[in-house]
Amino acid sequence: MHPSITRRRFLGGLAAGGAAAALAPTLLTACGDDSSGSSGGKKVVFHNWPLYIEGDDPATSPTLTGFTKAVGFAVDYTTAVEDNDSWFDKFSPDLAKGKGVGVDIVVLTTWMAARMVERKYVQAFDAATFPNKKNVLADLADSPWDKGRTATIPWAQGQTGIAYWPDKAGFEIKSMADLLDPRLKGRVTLLSEMRDTVGLMMLLDGKKPEEAKVADALAAIEKIKAARDKGQFRKITGNSYTDDLGAQEAWASVAWSGDIAQLQAEKPGLKWVLPAEGAMSFTDWAMILIGAPNKAGAEKLLNYVYDPAVAAGLYESIAYRAPVQGAVEKMSAEARKNPLINPGAGVKLHEFRVLTADEDKQLAEAFNAATQQ
Amino acid sequence: MAVSAAGRSTPWWVPWVLVAPGVVWLGVFFVVPMVRLGMLSLDDGGLSNFVDVFADNSEVVLRTFWYAAVATVAAVALGYPLAYVIATRGGRAKGLLLGLVVLPFFTTYLLRAIAWRVLLGGNGPVVGFLQAVGLFGPEDGVLATDLAVIGALTYNYLPFMVLPVFVSLEKVDRRLVEAGQDLYGGPLRTFRRVTLPLSLPGVFAGSLLTFIPAAGDFVNAEFLGSDNQRMIGSVIVANFAKEFLKPQMSALSFVLMALILAGVLVYARLLGTEDLA
Repeated sequence: MHPSITRRRFLGGLAAGGAAAALAPTLLTACGDDSSGSSGGKKVVFHNWPLYIEGDDPATSPTLTGFTKAVGFAVDYTTAVEDNDSWFDKFSPDLAKGKGVGVDIVVLTTWMAARMVERKYVQAFDAATFPNKKNVLADLADSPWDKGRTATIPWAQGQTGIAYWPDKAGFEIKSMADLLDPRLKGRVTLLSEMRDTVGLMMLLDGKKPEEAKVADALAAIEKIKAARDKGQFRKITGNSYTDDLGAQEAWASVAWSGDIAQLQAEKPGLKWVLPAEGAMSFTDWAMILIGAPNKAGAEKLLNYVYDPAVAAGLYESIAYRAPVQGAVEKMSAEARKNPLINPGAGVKLHEFRVLTADEDKQLAEAFNAATQQ
Repeated sequence: MAVSAAGRSTPWWVPWVLVAPGVVWLGVFFVVPMVRLGMLSLDDGGLSNFVDVFADNSEVVLRTFWYAAVATVAAVALGYPLAYVIATRGGRAKGLLLGLVVLPFFTTYLLRAIAWRVLLGGNGPVVGFLQAVGLFGPEDGVLATDLAVIGALTYNYLPFMVLPVFVSLEKVDRRLVEAGQDLYGGPLRTFRRVTLPLSLPGVFAGSLLTFIPAAGDFVNAEFLGSDNQRMIGSVIVANFAKEFLKPQMSALSFVLMALILAGVLVYARLLGTEDLA
């Protein structure tokens, strides 16, 4: 969802996703549908978002190559998750029948991870093969939708804030209210991820997304619709917002921190700001699917990543907050000062409450009607 | 039992065998998905999904068909003279000229849209030129306008107009044109009374080949437009994978197909299909 996707990576991701889907039945046949969780294969099949390992290249990633050298399992790693919905749409029909899809690990965002847990599409971790699970950061160690973190473990955590071009905007942007300023008419993009955009608008209204009431969210959606009807927004879109922002066609965007870290490397004039009223955070969770061909191997991989020394290198490279205790301490001084990797205690980040199915549907339809039609 | 020209009878099953692969292909890859899509569109709301989705997206629907219609008319305006010149003045260079018409197809559709984005972007040569001659201010742009999306649609589907019109013009019997001139018809009158009517089947075919994919297009609106240029395809693509919106998006897909079909039928009724090139 979050990392910046270049055209090449986007196309590569499509191809990888297509190939993964096409190969899934073959993999199932080859590996056997071993839902018992035994170590039936010599590789771990891993579906992740773009830019979530070093250099986005499994062949050279120190984490993946180090794991293979240390544990002996190869990792069949693909950036098959272009967005939560499309991954779920592709694989959920088989998962709903209790069948494996030839994939061991997938990484999905909180609300989708909660759905996966609720529908029992994932398996509980085995403490014997994943002892480093105890290293998860305290604030991520429990949640109402996966009590005790039995089947999901954070892979990365980032922030949703505002990125803008100060010279184009002509004034300092500090708040979501500034994105509704007529001076930016037609030059603002919002994210089509409902929880990010609506959450920020709720914060502007003084409401906490982690305690979201449907009425409050609907009020925020109505505010977005009113501004959209006036032509305030250029687009309400997903990953492709970086195209408009990077080309300065959009002057200000609700943005994901990982994208902006990447964009700023090429375009230092781009400014990143967390809204004064509060910013959203997102967490993407690794989980082991039912019917995973190599559950033990998957657990060993997660165990390897949750070694603080390994995590330090990985998260310093991909510039997301490391969810592993002790990792930050092992990073370079420069990385420890990077607010994207180490936000610090003073930064108040919010995450949207996990909605019930009915609430989810109601808000999804309202947000869609307000932003996509 | 059918009798061949050579006098030998053809077994009754031969035509069926010949047509079977195509029928099976269409059955598996068109009819089955359509039936599944139709069933999906009735989930969670039944027929009201169609009414709701049309009401909710009426502006996008109208915009989509407006864009497709304008792009088709523009393709006729650009493509007919081009096809006419190639057919009547191309000489030995006809093959080369037709090759140039289809040359853009040697790059992928996505890349062509991206190329237009670069060309029309705020830092691109088009805006730079318009600003240099004083027609545009510093903040004016071409991207995120109807013109950008319609222009790209026209560009991308122009070969689909040129080729059938060219074939149609090639089939025009030159002796009829000469007869018109012998009867004291000037060039314009001869064109209007002889060449144009005889080439209309090509225009009809080209219009269908342009209008139908243009109405279903979403790539150009995505890359060159803003929220104010969204087309039906954009809405479907953005939302189809969302679990809760799948029935509505399936219904919207059917609405798009039904409207295109209705438009094509009206068009065919007006122009006839007997002489399609």
